[in-house]
Amino acid sequence: MTDVLARRTLRQAALPEVIDAVHAELDGLWDDASFVPDMDRMTFATAVIEAASNVVQHAVPESTKPVELGVDISVTPVRLEARVSAFGAMCPDPIDTDAAMPDGEAESGRGLALIRALVTTVTFKRQDGTNTWILSRSPLQR
Amino acid sequence: MLLSYKVNDSYAVISAAGRLNMVSAPKLREMVAEVVAAGSARIVINLAETAFMDSSGLGALIGCLKAARQAGGDLRIAAVQPQVQMVLGLTSMDKVLTSYPSAAVAFGDD
Repeated sequence: MTDVLARRTLRQAALPEVIDAVHAELDGLWDDASFVPDMDRMTFATAVIEAASNVVQHAVPESTKPVELGVDISVTPVRLEARVSAFGAMCPDPIDTDAAMPDGEAESGRGLALIRALVTTVTFKRQDGTNTWILSRSPLQR
Repeated sequence: MLLSYKVNDSYAVISAAGRLNMVSAPKLREMVAEVVAAGSARIVINLAETAFMDSSGLGALIGCLKAARQAGGDLRIAAVQPQVQMVLGLTSMDKVLTSYPSAAVAFGDD
């Protein structure tokens, strides 16, 4: 088991206001893990916000209960990991994880391609009515 | 995000302070539409105080660029900070959105 040096979690209604709360948790994580280089912070934070925004914008409730966003972010000596979950969401349509960046005229559709460019691994998991994106970035820049 | 604008003789400067994301992106689109409707289609977005931009914010900039060009003008960005530059680079949008060191020089060549 790798040592987790700092960890933050959040679970709230998937409303636009939650994005500021995710930014606050990321800032708190860097306060607790000050050794993480600026480039890693910037890339990882951008990927986490993209994934969280995707949940807020696109997750569809599977019942009358609203979708909740879950964010679990952690730091080990060699790795940053985020689990971004949509609790109570329907399983999304098949996701093209190899989707290319759209052309210059497009005003949307860059989120997933951007996430892939920012982190080392991106995986998607559907379990017990929850969709989870697992993002990792390693090794940390020196 | 705090948005404000100032109309000069030949162009307008919109200053965007804070995070340009899914919450603030529609507000930027509205402000650009308002400035264009008021007759200023040459617009600089001053990003000196924009510490963060996501793909929604980028989409808004592209939409605003189209709106300005459709009105016969142009939209340029100025004082781009590192995170925003990273997003522009990774999406290759740095080739579409012309970046200038400051708002004052963005329309200095014409």
